[in-house]
Amino acid sequence: MKINEKRQGAVTIIQPAAALVSADAEQFGEAATRAMNASLGRIVVDLSAVAFVDSRGLEVLLDLAEEVERGGRTLKLCMTNPTVRQVLELTGLVPHFEYFDDTHSAVRSFL
Amino acid sequence: MFSADAAMASTGIAAVAVLVMVLIAMSAWVLRSQRIAVEVARQQETDAIGSLLSESAGRMLAAGELSPLRSAISTAARNWDLSVCRIVVGKQQVIADADPHQISMQTLPDQWSQLAQNDSSTAGEAQFFPIEVPGRGIAQLQIVPAAAKVDYWQTQAGMGVGAVIVLTALLLLYRFTAGKLRPMWLVRDALGAVAAGDRSADRLSISPTFGEEAVAWNALVGEACRGAQPNLQRTSDQRAAREQASDLDAACDVMTSGLLLVDARMRAKFANGATAVYLRTRREKLVGQDISALLGDDRVLNAVRSIATGSAQGSVTIEVERKDENGSGVLRFTVRPVRKSDAGAAMIVIDDITQQRVADAARNSFVAQVAHELRTPLTNIRLYVETAIEDDTGDVAQLRNALNIVNSESRRLERTVSEMLSVSEIEAGSIRLRSDDVRLDEMLNEVKGDFAQQAKDKNITFEVSLPPKTPTLQGDRDKIILTVHNLIGNAFKYTPRGGRIAVTLDVQTGKALLDVADSGIGIAPDEAELVFDRFYRSKDERVSKITGTGLGLTLAREIARLHGGDVTLQSEINKGSTFTLSLPLTEARAA
Repeated sequence: MKINEKRQGAVTIIQPAAALVSADAEQFGEAATRAMNASLGRIVVDLSAVAFVDSRGLEVLLDLAEEVERGGRTLKLCMTNPTVRQVLELTGLVPHFEYFDDTHSAVRSFL
Repeated sequence: MFSADAAMASTGIAAVAVLVMVLIAMSAWVLRSQRIAVEVARQQETDAIGSLLSESAGRMLAAGELSPLRSAISTAARNWDLSVCRIVVGKQQVIADADPHQISMQTLPDQWSQLAQNDSSTAGEAQFFPIEVPGRGIAQLQIVPAAAKVDYWQTQAGMGVGAVIVLTALLLLYRFTAGKLRPMWLVRDALGAVAAGDRSADRLSISPTFGEEAVAWNALVGEACRGAQPNLQRTSDQRAAREQASDLDAACDVMTSGLLLVDARMRAKFANGATAVYLRTRREKLVGQDISALLGDDRVLNAVRSIATGSAQGSVTIEVERKDENGSGVLRFTVRPVRKSDAGAAMIVIDDITQQRVADAARNSFVAQVAHELRTPLTNIRLYVETAIEDDTGDVAQLRNALNIVNSESRRLERTVSEMLSVSEIEAGSIRLRSDDVRLDEMLNEVKGDFAQQAKDKNITFEVSLPPKTPTLQGDRDKIILTVHNLIGNAFKYTPRGGRIAVTLDVQTGKALLDVADSGIGIAPDEAELVFDRFYRSKDERVSKITGTGLGLTLAREIARLHGGDVTLQSEINKGSTFTLSLPLTEARAA
């Protein structure tokens, strides 16, 4: 799975190009952790191209969120589609993340 | 509990036994008394009978009336219920008897001998009464009263009933008091257990069904046992203290600023989660360790050392830029002394200000760019106005030229200002579109005129093609002009000398498409989407030489999208780019 990374200001925006399921989710997790360590936790996960998240994907996202929480932050997700949003609501994971409608507002929240 | 029962039982039984024995003794005594009384009465009765009978017998013997005497004896025996009633003379000669068979002497002798006994006496049950018969001798009356056929059964029955009643009453009393006293016995048992060292509330409690006393006892036991367990109390106190401490820890861990408390020897006394992230380490490795190596900057190290050891006063703020293989960023270290004696020597607050720096840099560059963009037209306007003022020749053509230039430069100023406003509106999320009639043909012709000079200067072929019928669309005129200017301006900026720029308007059903095609430096595929991002400047080194705010394309797309259209790109590096602006036509009205 292709994972796009781009820098916007001081923030790394990481965008997985497909659904976060099984092995793809793992790959995403590794890339995101690397990006997180490089930018001292300043990452935003762009989920605009993610149609669906399975349990492995949720695990990966939660692990990321926990890592980020050690530094006092919350993992920022932007452009989650209704399906993904519903999955998060059903599993009760909504409070673990912050949500933004676009990358700009997500990046601005780091100020 | 068994001992209580046994005690109760034995006491009860003993009491009952004693009472029963008392009852038996009493009834025996009563019976005896009664019997004695009866006997005494009987005795007195016999005495009376004896004396009466002996008197009358004496008279009859003196008179020699034997038959009347015998009948008198019989009658007396019958009346007075005498088992033996006889007159004895001489040597035990019975001359009269109630029982005729006993008579041994048929006739009355004239004289007889003395009897062995002369006095009234009793032998066993018989009573003897002497009868003095003058002239004949002394006879003896013998009487034996019949056995007292007194029936004691009434007394006994009465006693029996009394005994039963008393026993029943005793039984009821016993049950009543036993019930009342039982909790007392159980409490006594519990106290015995306490004396033996037992402190368990469970074992010392008694069943609350025994009533108020039991409930009160249990409450007392509960309180006493709770107080008597100091170990548990200490543990729960410790737990509470730990929870309080971890509350503070948890609160510190959700801060995005790093908090680091350092003692005089540069060892970390406390560090929150964010500190560990910023110093690129784990919290476990941080606490108690010398943090000199982790700070990563000599200025910070010196500041911390001097404040921690007390050789410097006041607080110090240092911004450190860090660039390594892991990434780059800017951290702000604020070092303050901690005056309290045992809370460590220095407090360091670490903030990640990278994003702030970026935002500041972007804003600064934008302002600089805008200032430049404003200055150029202003300079031109001033120049041409001054020339016109100073001109004495009265050359109308030159004057008109000057005025045209002032006009177009003013419009340029207007666009720059409009762009600045749009940017701030987009940032604030408050952008609004006006609804004007936009005549595309007029607009494009105007634009053509605006860029004519630039085309000439750079020797670029600039063509604007319009279809025979150009529609009027609804939209924000100023913003659409801004968009078109941005696109064409970019084309001019990034096309080198001798190039070609073609602007084509194509009207389709429901939308208008404006192509701006240039033969410029082009855009690499990986940047094709990025160029539309805010403040984004291409990494291409040719671009870095050209001034730009990095906002032109962002605005163009934003405005197009607000109208319901878009700006798209097709490009090939070193060949050129074609930007297409599409805007919806609400009414397909031909000009």
